[in-house]
Amino acid sequence: MKFAASLVSAALLFAAATFGLGRLMDVQAAAVLAYLASLLFFLHRIGGGAALAGWARGEEPPTGHGAGRFLSFDSDHKVVGVQYTGAALVVFIVAGIMALIMRAELAHHGLQLLTQQQYNTVMTLHGMGMVVVALIAIAGGIGNFVVPLQIGARDMAFPRMNALSFWLLPPAVLLLLSTPFLGGLDFGWTAYAPLSTKGATLGKLLFLLAFITAGFSSIFSGVNFIATVLSMRARGMGWRRVPIFTWSIVSASIIQLMGTSVVAASLIMVIFDRVLHTSFYNPELGGSVLLYQHLFWYYSHPAVYIMILPAFGAILEILPVFCRKPLFAYPLAAGSFLAIVALSFIVWAHHMFTSGMWMLLKLPFMINTELISIPTGVVFLAALGTLWKARMRLDSPMLWTLAMLANFLIGGLTGIPLADAPTDLHFQDTWFVVAHFHFTVMGGAIFGFFAAFHYWFPKMSGRRLDETLAKLHLGLMFAGFNAVFIPLFWLGAHGMRRRVSDFPAWMDPVQAFASAASLVVAASVVVFFYNVWRSLKRGEPAGDNPWEARTLEWTAPSPPPHGNFRSAPAVTEHPYHLGVAA
Amino acid sequence: MKNKAAVAFVVVVAALIFAGLWALFAAYPMLPAAASKEAEFVDGAFNGLFWIEGAIYALVMAFMLYCLVQFRASSRAEQGAKFDRSRSRLVEVAWIGLSTMLTLGLAALGSHELHAVIGSPEADIDVEVRGQQFSWEFYYPKLQQYGDKLYLEVGKRHRIILTSKDVVHSFWVPEFRLKQDAVPGKVIHLLLTPTKVGDYMLICSELCGFGHTDMTASVAVVDHETFEKNLKSEF
Repeated sequence: MKFAASLVSAALLFAAATFGLGRLMDVQAAAVLAYLASLLFFLHRIGGGAALAGWARGEEPPTGHGAGRFLSFDSDHKVVGVQYTGAALVVFIVAGIMALIMRAELAHHGLQLLTQQQYNTVMTLHGMGMVVVALIAIAGGIGNFVVPLQIGARDMAFPRMNALSFWLLPPAVLLLLSTPFLGGLDFGWTAYAPLSTKGATLGKLLFLLAFITAGFSSIFSGVNFIATVLSMRARGMGWRRVPIFTWSIVSASIIQLMGTSVVAASLIMVIFDRVLHTSFYNPELGGSVLLYQHLFWYYSHPAVYIMILPAFGAILEILPVFCRKPLFAYPLAAGSFLAIVALSFIVWAHHMFTSGMWMLLKLPFMINTELISIPTGVVFLAALGTLWKARMRLDSPMLWTLAMLANFLIGGLTGIPLADAPTDLHFQDTWFVVAHFHFTVMGGAIFGFFAAFHYWFPKMSGRRLDETLAKLHLGLMFAGFNAVFIPLFWLGAHGMRRRVSDFPAWMDPVQAFASAASLVVAASVVVFFYNVWRSLKRGEPAGDNPWEARTLEWTAPSPPPHGNFRSAPAVTEHPYHLGVAA
Repeated sequence: MKNKAAVAFVVVVAALIFAGLWALFAAYPMLPAAASKEAEFVDGAFNGLFWIEGAIYALVMAFMLYCLVQFRASSRAEQGAKFDRSRSRLVEVAWIGLSTMLTLGLAALGSHELHAVIGSPEADIDVEVRGQQFSWEFYYPKLQQYGDKLYLEVGKRHRIILTSKDVVHSFWVPEFRLKQDAVPGKVIHLLLTPTKVGDYMLICSELCGFGHTDMTASVAVVDHETFEKNLKSEF
């Protein structure tokens, strides 16, 4: 298999080059050079070189046939979308198993299964892995598949670059998975300096390289979506007729483009501090520790909107179809996405209320952060307004949507004590924060992903998912997820810090309960994969438009052929005029 | 009139949800016992936020439940209500206006509470607290003495002078409700006034390496005589 051979040979090249160059220079410097070389080697082997040459010769972007194309450098946006979805699910499983390992360790006080070193490494990889999942599952997976279809385009604006953004991810994941064997990770996904600049282990360096690689993937993808939606919409699709899901992907893409380069720069400076012994973050030589935190959160707070905006878009896309009425306050909802994008860049230091930054900086960051609840409230207005006087069809995408709203309501509201500077003095870096962001990222973005997945699976595969299994999956995951994370708010308020492997014995009953509930979440994921596997094999054929929706992707065959539409579609009406004309 | 029934349903169900939350947190208080003057402001701010949010949560959930019960399609042929632009404008304006007012109110309240928590920079007792992987060190400059734990005198205002030898650590005593990072290269002051005699735990709450979990120290809030006696008798 070309994919496996390319990845293995690139890994071997990396190991050999690091070892060889390491005899001439510092091993970390050797590893950086070796990584750049083996990354290029991998991209060439997988087919990027040929695609580049084809571009120079003016040929069509590469695309294949059969199942093999899902593991090759294929430029068709639908293939890339399936690749992203598959990759997100694979990382979801791996990082999910890490969550179960952590929950097993945390079922009882003291250390049972892991050493502190192993716990920190598992915790860091779970965090980074799930950040990647939340960033790519909807925007990369569903977005790549659906957006060009939804705007009536044949493909993305830059099909080869689209394939490149996906193929940067497998090396990043491989790097992350190698870190436990190369010294482990002690710093969490945030990799705060100077903890990340100290300790000359290869594992820490590879984590940073993986983060930067995934960052470039995200930048390329953001550029591509913006260019595609700006320039390739079907005839008649003015901005007031752009489907709300596409609006959300464009909004997230703006953040990807504008924010990711900043975090990449901050991490490159960490690597400089490690490898070239510069002192960007070393206070003894004039550097600043807080500089890292500012640069890191300048991206990493907006990053949560890269995760949640596509989920908002997906549920607002689903609601009118299953309520059989127009999306309420559609222009306001689209505007609120853009308002969230604008505000997201001026709230970052609410992660730093206890950091020792200038005291008066707390005020603007507290106020700006709380302002975000206004556009977020508009998203809820659009959702609740659409529910009003609806004729709801309670198929699985709709049920996932309702579950997402219930979860995100908790996630959003529990963000306010964290945005409020005085109360955050107590809650910062506790499990209250952990529970809050799991309610937004898992309860919001991941539940939103499952809503989107159940909605668009018939289009992607041509077959329908089994509704009974889908509802079982939802019921188990909703109950299990809430049972795991609601007690965490309470534990956090009572003194449970983030990122520790041990806690006082009196917490045992609550911790054991959360650990038991985590198994219910695991069971729900098993049901999900069984459903997907079964439906791919012998699911009911979906037809072009199983949900009776009005957006353009449902006018194409399921699954759509290469080029998507038989003739260029034209748009003559609003996408959510459901129930009006009928 | 159908809308009246909706209002009644939402109000009653929201009240039930709110009462449920209230009963739950009466039985299991959300915050541990407070033991500092600053904690009163933090707890006041949190309790205010908590009940406002509880009300919002209850109302939204009650509304969604009403829709779920009332607006289900009995057959796939049924379609939802038509779009009425004039009435939805009013809802939109009211919603945004209300949420803006609420947000600005919360921000104003938060600014006020923050000011109260920070308080004046004057202090009775200075303590130098230094973090390093993975332990804490306490030094009393006026007495020129180290402490084997963090002794604080009840009712007195302390200036915790925080420094770090290596990486970022964070000073947190849950009962005091205050948290402050110790940052290498910086000297940071944290002012606090313990109000209850007792033993507490100082726990590092910024991930500082593999031993982060173990980076704790004892805190003893004592009266004046014990404070003097303990620090004098050491070393």
